[in-house]
Amino acid sequence: MMAGMLPARGGPRASIELEAASFGWRGRAAVRNVTGRFLPGAMTAIVGPNGAGKSTLMKGMMGVLRPGSGRVHVRDADRGALAWLPQAGDLDRSFPMSVYDLVAMGAWRRTGPWSRLSAAEHARTERVLAVVRMSDAADRAVGTLSGGQLQRVLFARMLMQDADMVLLDEPFAAVDRHTTEELMALLCDAHTQGQGVIAVLHDLELVREYFPQTLLLAGDVIAWGPTAEVLTPENLRRARDRHEEAR
Amino acid sequence: MIPTRSARRHTLALLSAALMALNIRAAHAADAPLSVVASFSILADIAREVGGPDVKVDTLVGPDGDAHSYEPTPQDAKRLSTARVLVVNGLDFEAWLPRLTQSSGFKGQTIVASTGVTPRPFESGHDEDDHDHGEADGHDHDHDKAGAEVHGHGHAAGHAHGAHDHGSNDPHAWQDLRNGMRYARNIAEGFAAADPAHAAAYKARAAAYEDRLQALNTRITSQFAAIPAAQRKVVTSHDAFGYFGQAYGITFIAPVGMSTDAEPSAADMARLIGQVKRDNIRAVFVENISSPRLVEQIARETGARTGGTLYSDALSKPGQPAATYLGMFEWNAKQLVNALQP
Amino acid sequence: MTLYDLVAAPFIDFGFMRRALAGATALAFGAAPLGVFLVLRRMSLMGDAMAHAILPGVAAGFLLSGLSLTAMMIGGALTGLAVSLLAGAVARLTPLREDASFAAFYLISLGLGVLLVSVRGSNMDLLHVLFGTVLGLGDDALMLVTVCASLTLIILATVYRLLVAECLDPGFLRASGGGGSFVHMVFLTLVVMNLVAGFQVLGTLMVVGMMMLPAAAARFWARSAGGQIALACAVGVCSAVVGLLISYHLNVTASPAIILSAGAAYLISVVGGPHGGLVYLARRAKPPAGSAWPPTGEYK
Repeated sequence: MMAGMLPARGGPRASIELEAASFGWRGRAAVRNVTGRFLPGAMTAIVGPNGAGKSTLMKGMMGVLRPGSGRVHVRDADRGALAWLPQAGDLDRSFPMSVYDLVAMGAWRRTGPWSRLSAAEHARTERVLAVVRMSDAADRAVGTLSGGQLQRVLFARMLMQDADMVLLDEPFAAVDRHTTEELMALLCDAHTQGQGVIAVLHDLELVREYFPQTLLLAGDVIAWGPTAEVLTPENLRRARDRHEEAR
Repeated sequence: MIPTRSARRHTLALLSAALMALNIRAAHAADAPLSVVASFSILADIAREVGGPDVKVDTLVGPDGDAHSYEPTPQDAKRLSTARVLVVNGLDFEAWLPRLTQSSGFKGQTIVASTGVTPRPFESGHDEDDHDHGEADGHDHDHDKAGAEVHGHGHAAGHAHGAHDHGSNDPHAWQDLRNGMRYARNIAEGFAAADPAHAAAYKARAAAYEDRLQALNTRITSQFAAIPAAQRKVVTSHDAFGYFGQAYGITFIAPVGMSTDAEPSAADMARLIGQVKRDNIRAVFVENISSPRLVEQIARETGARTGGTLYSDALSKPGQPAATYLGMFEWNAKQLVNALQP
Repeated sequence: MTLYDLVAAPFIDFGFMRRALAGATALAFGAAPLGVFLVLRRMSLMGDAMAHAILPGVAAGFLLSGLSLTAMMIGGALTGLAVSLLAGAVARLTPLREDASFAAFYLISLGLGVLLVSVRGSNMDLLHVLFGTVLGLGDDALMLVTVCASLTLIILATVYRLLVAECLDPGFLRASGGGGSFVHMVFLTLVVMNLVAGFQVLGTLMVVGMMMLPAAAARFWARSAGGQIALACAVGVCSAVVGLLISYHLNVTASPAIILSAGAAYLISVVGGPHGGLVYLARRAKPPAGSAWPPTGEYK
């Protein structure tokens, strides 16, 4: 499905490196002392109890949140090489915009928000819409979409961005099983093409099935590495306990 | 107690000393200047001329102020409460004053400067409070064109709306120098009644002042007489010059809504511009207490000359040409003569 | 009275009518597009607050230099920008509190402004500042409002996509390299500029009416943001024409007549507009919440 969709890559390049980074709100650290590196092209799931700081960490990696201490580096690329799909997001659904235009926004990193889209970009937009099976809805207002449809459209935009690495925060939270499988398949294809994928997820089954790497977070990093090694009952219990303490 | 001789003498001495002290006190009191409050700057100026060093005059509505819609401050109430004389214009000019006198507890004497003046009514049908434009439309346009020239109608294109707070008479009586002379006389009489010790001085100063007013009047009359009657037509933004117009045979056209409180409608502007063009009115004037913007627009559109500022209800600040009543009159006359001269 | 007499003659015969129309039209072209964005971003209260925010600046300028256009404009621009910067900061940090702090700003500004004008001026001056002098627009005022409208349109065209993104999905914009704050500031600056230029025409109290009412009306007829902008400008211009004609024929004050015409357009739109108008809502089944387009098919 995705063959030939993306232009030939010079190989994945961007990686995200964290050095003892902490992120929080109003002086209170939600996630502390994270050190490690998301390698180019890696597919990593971030899991942990609710309120463990996963979204916060992701915001920190995207640069939306400054680290309270420590540092975040995006290596071998600028921040624009990262695409982010936040949870719910502050997307104003009542704003009159068509699905097509929303997806086309993904091209900005290449074209800039000032100039018109070229024919090539238009073609790409249409292809991407076809991939997520939302071509028929291209003229519809964003506000008329269901949760699942909107998520597909946002995925399409993410594909448009053609980023080195995509970060997704609970991408399947409001989405039915069928759509989840479709979108998961898209992510796998992206990974195959060399894009890095980092996703915050709740569904451990999904993680075990698709994600080779996992970061288990409960305020602090409990474990980070190959999924099978990280998602042991012991680690999971430690995560729970650490989280209870922290409350 | 049986008064002995020496006791009687002592008592007498004490009594006469007391009496002398009282007399001295009274004499001192008589020497302190009479505290006067005048309602606005023009009256204040006349009061100062008449009163000289024997009075101390405070003004409520100062130079460049708008007496039509003045809001008194607590300071004013304070000043009024300690004054012995209040000089007002009358003819319903100061609508805000009765409330102020009451609240300040003023117990002195009030001089109404316009006593004895023959008031000039505003146009027939001019009733400020329940004004209805439909009524006005019916009668004013051609009516004015016909009769306007020599009578100084002063109010052709319509009527002022808003809280202009006049009665049906034009209160700007001071715009006729002869009325100004009467003002001076009334004020002198009032001062004399409040302060009999200086009565003669007041009357003398008033007489001298009246002479100066008379001289100015004669001069101005001849100046205006030199301009053909048909050309003595002027637009101002405030209907304050009725008496002036009457005195010197000038038609002042003050369009509705150009007074201090209201905003005109397009119909008003159109009517006025039409009239200016039709009657070939040469000059358009702006006043020191209302907005010039609309008047400039009229001048722009009709080709009439803008003649500078006219002072109607207030003197200018000191240092500027219209800082005194005489100065104001001379200035106004000069501006008008210059603008109307062919 | 022929149609010509009714509609065209007043403008043909009188220069002040033409100027008033020119000034009000220019204002409509500048303010209405901004109004559309204010409505879409639910910042209508802020638009109103900004109009009041410029009042103390204008009053201070008036206090210092009389009815000098330059002084009043600079003053208005300063306080307007100060409030807009504060507003921008508040919006960035705490979106929920925007409402409350704006209510505070606008009341303080209005009181301060009235006080300042009353210190030196007469009621007439206050009226001019609050309600404008649409029938007495000098060359300078006309030039100002025209330049302002042109600048607004040019700048809006340039930053249009960025502005739309900032309205629609600020998170995306931030993550894609930002520019969100920049465009927000540009937008607020344009709003202040139009309010300051417009107060000569319609006064500080009414100018926001020209900004909001046509935009609010357009919402019921046009779908896309671009369509709403075009329609809002049209409504603004029509309100100016109708308002001036009403002032001319029925002898009522001009600036409220213009605003009330815009208001009438709004009311008509609320009732009869195809997108969310009451008549249409009553006729068809209630559409899904949040829709601006009618749904085209079954959900996939």
